[in-house]
Amino acid sequence: MDKEKVYKFNSDKGNELSVPLKNAPMKEHGVIDFLVIAAGFLLITPILSAHRVTDFMIFCIFVMSFDLMYGYMGRLSFGHMLFLGTGAYCSGLFIRYISGNPLLAILVGIFMAGLLAMLIGLVIVRTTGACFSLINLAFNQIGFFLVLSPLRGITRGEDGFGVRVSSFGFFNFANTTFKFCFVLLCLLLIFYFLKRLTTSPYGILIRSIKEDETRVKFLGYNTFFYKWLTFVLAGGVGGLVGTLSALNYNFVNPNMMDVHSNVGVVFASLIGGAGNLYGALVGGVVYMLISNFLPIYIHRWEMFLGFSLLIIVFKFRKGVWGNIQDIWEYIQKRKGAPRLAA
Amino acid sequence: MLYTVLYGFTIGAILYFISIGLSLTFGTIRVINFAHTLTYTIAVYILITLMAYFHGFFPVAGALAVLVVIPISYVIERFIIRRLYGESLDYTFIATFAVSLIGVDTIKWIWGVNPYPLSDPVGIYLAVWGLTFPLYRLLIVLIAIILFFALELFFKKTIVGKIVVAALEDKDGLRCLGINVDKYFSIVFILGSALAGLGGVLYAPISSIHPYMGLSILLLSFAVVIVGGMGNLKGTFISAFALGMVMAITARYWSQGAETMVFIVMAIVLIFRPIDI
Repeated sequence: MDKEKVYKFNSDKGNELSVPLKNAPMKEHGVIDFLVIAAGFLLITPILSAHRVTDFMIFCIFVMSFDLMYGYMGRLSFGHMLFLGTGAYCSGLFIRYISGNPLLAILVGIFMAGLLAMLIGLVIVRTTGACFSLINLAFNQIGFFLVLSPLRGITRGEDGFGVRVSSFGFFNFANTTFKFCFVLLCLLLIFYFLKRLTTSPYGILIRSIKEDETRVKFLGYNTFFYKWLTFVLAGGVGGLVGTLSALNYNFVNPNMMDVHSNVGVVFASLIGGAGNLYGALVGGVVYMLISNFLPIYIHRWEMFLGFSLLIIVFKFRKGVWGNIQDIWEYIQKRKGAPRLAA
Repeated sequence: MLYTVLYGFTIGAILYFISIGLSLTFGTIRVINFAHTLTYTIAVYILITLMAYFHGFFPVAGALAVLVVIPISYVIERFIIRRLYGESLDYTFIATFAVSLIGVDTIKWIWGVNPYPLSDPVGIYLAVWGLTFPLYRLLIVLIAIILFFALELFFKKTIVGKIVVAALEDKDGLRCLGINVDKYFSIVFILGSALAGLGGVLYAPISSIHPYMGLSILLLSFAVVIVGGMGNLKGTFISAFALGMVMAITARYWSQGAETMVFIVMAIVLIFRPIDI
């Protein structure tokens, strides 16, 4: 009762950008979601091969972590690859020099990316809008440069280095099936975690920060802390993604921190529909399909990407998932109408 | 050391040409234009094509290249930027980035991905105190300084310039006076793009030419605009030369760190003077 009031109060702001707060309660879907997601990825596996789908899922986690910051908190970052790269490099170096244990490496990757986010977050979250994007970009560029040049001794510059994980028990990352299952498990875990997070009061708070930060501040919340926390969480998940991709490809190279790769995740988040975890999943898959298969058929695929981004910005702002939701609501209304009449 | 200073001034001058448009566009229409250096790249490629027709006569080819950029930038303004007035910043970011993706791919389509060489068009070296300076670099700095005063005159003396300066201050107030602000915005945009094209034409002979050349210099000019203050014309002039000098001095001692140092300066400036947009 109390919660519903909050939603209603917020949802009548007629801002086109605003994320509707209506589908907030968790219990509506429950376990079915996870089954549907798992089934969806398993269904496309026979068509695309397990290796590719593992790739897709890793990217989907990345899109979700980006979406926490962009879709939910309304801060567009053009440097999210920094955390992916940090996770990949830290865990890769950990495996190379300290221990081959993949689980420890994952923890190290998450921790180091989170730590970096904690430190630079103190500076970055003070800014908004374009400034936020650009300062993220600047930090990403600095990270890319650090990896490429001053730390060449341990990161091996442009060449990157191989990552060999030791296997113990059934934890065998050389096995494609195990890798697939492990990444799927990670995806579901992260999905559950973010779902809980975004439907909690904290999630409502960060959405409110997106709508109007001054009002939230006026209500007595320390917005700086919440923004910082979101930044750290997004960074930590980014670190996980980095570690997973290092384990998946068995090597780490500076491409994982490349500034120009940020377009991909922004595009994926938009095409799926920002501010929605399902949208992030759909967008991730769609983007990966486009970037994997389109270059085979169309030589000028960057141009296609540009035109579709323009179409999204001008005509298709809700993304794939937003439109599915609209259609779904429309059907529900059509269904509901005769019943009301009768 | 004198070489370093000259190098810094050259880079500063080029950065000034490019970031003046970016700064103006941001100050008036509140659009962060990722496609800004697209015109820079296009101008360079047109210059290369024209050089063949004019048998390597640089001034005519360069001037024509800058002129060709004007209609292209008008098309971008008319069909993309004009729709973005008053939009959320994220969308303007993404839309202009999309434009630059399309543009770069078109360039790759027409001219190919291979880098082109272009030699120093003046080729005269001045000998002063036993040191030799390439005259071309001095000319670039000279043009930048002339341009700065020309722009100052333009914004102080002409009615268009005055309207633009007023728009930087208060757009709605200007609209209330019955002035068609949008028309002046497109003039500002085209002016900025043409200046970026000029920067490209002047910089091409002393840099490498490839389809992605715009992207790296775009990041640098963003840094210039942020350090100098968005929509602040004098600030842009000073910060362009200051950052150019930072680049040159860093490059002297640590050549790979030059571009990153600019971003470090930008980060420091942002920490102490965050811009609320």
